[in-house]
Amino acid sequence: MSPSRDAILSRLRDNRPDPKPYPLPPVARLGDMDNGQARFENSLQILGGQVLERQEGDTLATAIARRFPDSKIICSAVPDFEGTIRIEELGTPQQAASVDVLVVRAPFGIAEMGSIYLSEAQLSDLNSAAHLTQHIVVILSAKNLTANMHTAYMDRPEFHTAKYGVLMSGPSATADIQGVLIRGAQGVRTLSVWWED
Amino acid sequence: MKVKPVNHAKAAEAFIEDTAHMDFHDERLWDLRQKRDEQMHLLPEWQDLRARASAIKEHTLANLPEYLEQFETNAKKNGIHVHWAADGAEHNRIVGEILEKHGAKSLIKSKSMVTEECCMREYLEPRGVVVTETDLGERIQQLDNQMPSHIVVPAVHKLIPDVAKIFAEHYHTDPNDNSAQSLAWQQRLAARPVILSADAGMTGGNFVVAETGSFVVCTNEGNADLSATVPGLHIATIGIERLVPRMADMGVFIRMLSRSALGSPITQYTTHFRGPQKGSEMHVVLVDNGRSHRLGMEDFWTSLKCIRCGACMNTCPVYRRSGGLSYGAVYSGPIGAIIDPTFNERKYSTLPFASTMNGSCTNVCPVKINIHEQLYKWRRVLAEHHELPFVKREVMHMAGKIMGQPTLYRAAINSTEAALSTMPRFVLYNWLNPWGKHRELPHPVKQTFHSWYKQNRLKTKKKEGEGA
Repeated sequence: MSPSRDAILSRLRDNRPDPKPYPLPPVARLGDMDNGQARFENSLQILGGQVLERQEGDTLATAIARRFPDSKIICSAVPDFEGTIRIEELGTPQQAASVDVLVVRAPFGIAEMGSIYLSEAQLSDLNSAAHLTQHIVVILSAKNLTANMHTAYMDRPEFHTAKYGVLMSGPSATADIQGVLIRGAQGVRTLSVWWED
Repeated sequence: MKVKPVNHAKAAEAFIEDTAHMDFHDERLWDLRQKRDEQMHLLPEWQDLRARASAIKEHTLANLPEYLEQFETNAKKNGIHVHWAADGAEHNRIVGEILEKHGAKSLIKSKSMVTEECCMREYLEPRGVVVTETDLGERIQQLDNQMPSHIVVPAVHKLIPDVAKIFAEHYHTDPNDNSAQSLAWQQRLAARPVILSADAGMTGGNFVVAETGSFVVCTNEGNADLSATVPGLHIATIGIERLVPRMADMGVFIRMLSRSALGSPITQYTTHFRGPQKGSEMHVVLVDNGRSHRLGMEDFWTSLKCIRCGACMNTCPVYRRSGGLSYGAVYSGPIGAIIDPTFNERKYSTLPFASTMNGSCTNVCPVKINIHEQLYKWRRVLAEHHELPFVKREVMHMAGKIMGQPTLYRAAINSTEAALSTMPRFVLYNWLNPWGKHRELPHPVKQTFHSWYKQNRLKTKKKEGEGA
């Protein structure tokens, strides 16, 4: 135990207001409970994400080839898509920097925000891959949409089990230079969702 | 030697003189405020969310020692090393020791106001650690050797040519580049190799969840995730007030944070760290630095509810027209003006006066901090502690006497009206009247309300009384 720990805690005990008038409010489910695909797509678009175009006869591979024609290294983190390299073959977090497109499956999405969730379970423990890749394609099932942030935090077990869990809402972005919004700052330059049903 | 108070008014004067910068700053921040309003109107439950956020935070602060212990127990179970720092110096020493143990010479970090409070870069750099800010705005400020001027958009006071000049000097890019896109791309190109070769990464923490032993980081650029997942060592520096009891509470806060800050529904990245990633080490440094003391201040402890969204800054007419740097403190704007004096009462004694008392800050605050009331209360505290400048003190003293006595007050008002209409400008506008520096004194009225009332209403009342 560090001496500062005990000093801080005892100062807090001495100084805090009387806890009695400040009960913890019960957890609440508020807001719009629509967990539909249309709401998700609308939110996704507001945050700068997109739905990967599916033309007749398209497979995920042909859709990716059309959307990212110049990509050389397509890394797969899912068993049902081939790519040019598997995520398990990337030896270190740094090696993910060579990836052009990462294909990954999200366990759920949030309709209110157009967010998709990823953890070490989907990224084969290589969390850096979701951020060093130039583009990310996220496979998502409309069955796995939750309505809003309240339902997500209350119903999804991942927030209690994953060591690393990121909600990505569109690609990385910045408006730090004269307020100009730029999609694709330090992390992924684009984020596309591929509906699997 | 006594520290000198920050001369906010003088710094603001310099900022105002540069019209191009001030106009952009004013409009940009007002635009963020309007976008925040649009988002607010989309959610009928907005006021309910604010009330809940406030209640959760007040409850947590009143039970902070228990929740901190709960967090520590759970975080340790998850494999996180938890450290406690009483002040900035101890924080810096702890971070320095962790880095030294790992032989880490380069640290990449995302934005953290606590490390600004602790002056961590200034401590680490002479000890041979290269610290690189990865947030674009924060990096611009680092290269320009300035403090962040806003807690969410650190370089909001700069225009494109300013950034082009800074990048040209440090990244050898085109000094005449006038595209924000291309400058942001230059930052990406410059940052990548630094990120890939970094020995350690550092983030702050927007929220700490006691129940799960996790902390949550919200960014838009993805730079916190890069800082945390690429190197094999992740240090998170977090203020002890950032706790919430349950994971389920996060919904309330995440739904309001970015909407209040930038008017976007959510930050692009909302990341939940509950333990080290495979092959990596994770440290959390819980920083007090005056917070436990502030918790004991009856009128000011609720400022610890702050979730650092910056909405109060965006809406403040004084902040928008004086710029964050004019506050001379890590925290600027209305929230800065009520927490900075807890760090140094004399140095920041001028800041609670940088307000028009319009109350807009209080109205937009997502956790319902009564900011403008605390500004007022700080003015009283500072007056009691004799931290007012001479002229302000004497004028207040006189005003107190006059306003306390109705006859004296009325006589003074009558003579003021006479003075305003007859006295030459140099008598009215001089160093004894700093208020008149950038303002015109009000036009004298022909008659005060009081004398009008005496003449008219009192007579009417008498007549009515006579008739009855």
